[in-house]
Amino acid sequence: MSTITAPAPSGTPNQTPEDAQPKSNAKKLLLGIGGFWLVGLIFFIAVLGFKGHKNAAVASGAFSPTNEFKLDTWFALGPVDFNKGVLYVLLAAAITLGLLLYMARRLKQRPTGRLQVAIELFYNLTSSMTGENLPSRQMQRKYFPLIATLFIFILVTNLIGYIPLPVNSVDKFTIFGAHIPSFQIFAADTNVAFPLMLALVMFLLFSYERLKHNHWNPIAFLRSLMPSGAPGGLMPLIFVIEILSYFLRLISLTVRLWANLLAGHMLIAFMGGELGVLVGSPWVQWLLLPLGIVMFVFEAVLIAGLQAFIFSILSAIYLGDAVSEH
Amino acid sequence: MSVAAHTPIAASGSFLISPNVGLMIWVLVVFLVAAFILWKYVFPVIGKVLDDRAASINSDIDSAGKLREEANQVLAEYQQRLAEARQQAEEIVDRAHKAGDAHHKQVVEETNAERDRKLEQIRSDIDAETQRALDQIRSEVAKLTVQATEKVTRKSLNDDDHRRLIDDALNDLDFSSLSGGKR
Repeated sequence: MSTITAPAPSGTPNQTPEDAQPKSNAKKLLLGIGGFWLVGLIFFIAVLGFKGHKNAAVASGAFSPTNEFKLDTWFALGPVDFNKGVLYVLLAAAITLGLLLYMARRLKQRPTGRLQVAIELFYNLTSSMTGENLPSRQMQRKYFPLIATLFIFILVTNLIGYIPLPVNSVDKFTIFGAHIPSFQIFAADTNVAFPLMLALVMFLLFSYERLKHNHWNPIAFLRSLMPSGAPGGLMPLIFVIEILSYFLRLISLTVRLWANLLAGHMLIAFMGGELGVLVGSPWVQWLLLPLGIVMFVFEAVLIAGLQAFIFSILSAIYLGDAVSEH
Repeated sequence: MSVAAHTPIAASGSFLISPNVGLMIWVLVVFLVAAFILWKYVFPVIGKVLDDRAASINSDIDSAGKLREEANQVLAEYQQRLAEARQQAEEIVDRAHKAGDAHHKQVVEETNAERDRKLEQIRSDIDAETQRALDQIRSEVAKLTVQATEKVTRKSLNDDDHRRLIDDALNDLDFSSLSGGKR
């Protein structure tokens, strides 16, 4: 930005002024923002007071920060409930399928545009996940679609979770007499049901593969969990640990994704103003706002992709582990 | 099925950790349907595009290798031809030099021979001319001698007198300087 506004001195052999200009502009911008933030902080404390005045809803306990993660049933079609979790799952599936089906028709042998490059990057990444972790070509062919879908589905679910949408039907606001759900950032995987279901699918699949690999023999199945070369005396202990760790894969897969997303969304919400509401002090909101923005960027840029990657690569590793000898 | 959804608002945080069974079923169905559609209609297409590209890159690399090989062959052929042409040119120049030398030598020899021949011719011509002049002088001298003798003696001389007088006169004259030593 500053490079555009800063007039570049033409014809000067010395480059120092040209280099120094943007730097000083960026510094000025940062100083300006910092100053604005400081002035705002003083303004809020001076005008609205340092001591908090709790909102009635907060004081009575009617408002709780966790409410925005509650799955409020919007309507039910027979036994099937429809809530915002379902909306996000459907939204994620619609975006994933829409984007990939649209792009599949437009892929060119000579890449055109960044979207194609991104799609190919996704394809190569997921195919290397299966290629490197599953031992046989047949297994790779069999499980690649599942692992790839897992990755893109979780990624899209995570990413749309950072777009504020009016889905908080528990805490509504009124505009021109209409009760509108509050805007919030919600992700389907902030509800434990989402990662649990996916982890359950993967757990059942890699357990099935392990059982099949051990000729449907439960004893061989359990023996295959033992590491080779374990000293005899420690066998029982190691056996218990290995069995535990095997079944904990289900929990760890679930909790890793769910807790990361839930904690991330809560942190963004807290830093982005909720803490200020809870203590009733507007200056606290202003104080924490920069942290909220940093948190948002960190979560959206890093965590969303990282968690999708970890979930899908661990699934591939567990599948590969199920059919390989120790 | 929607136990969590119907608990009183803000009652507790337990809904956070108790999975919503309805959502689990939704996730399962939507995920499996999405995986099926992607497996059926999307991944094969992307895979085909990438495989086709890989194949085309491979064939491009192969054909580039072939082209390079051909180019190398052509280059080698041209270099060989160039070398041959250079050798031929050198031979031609060499031959031309030799021919030139021989011709030069021949011309020089012919010129020398011609010169010698002409010199010889000139020399013999000179000798003949000299001889003719001497003979003429001799006859002139004889004639003068006869006339002088007639005037001195007031008598005509017969042939024998002429002969004797001429011989006497001529014997007294020295023509050696005119005839190059010849008498």
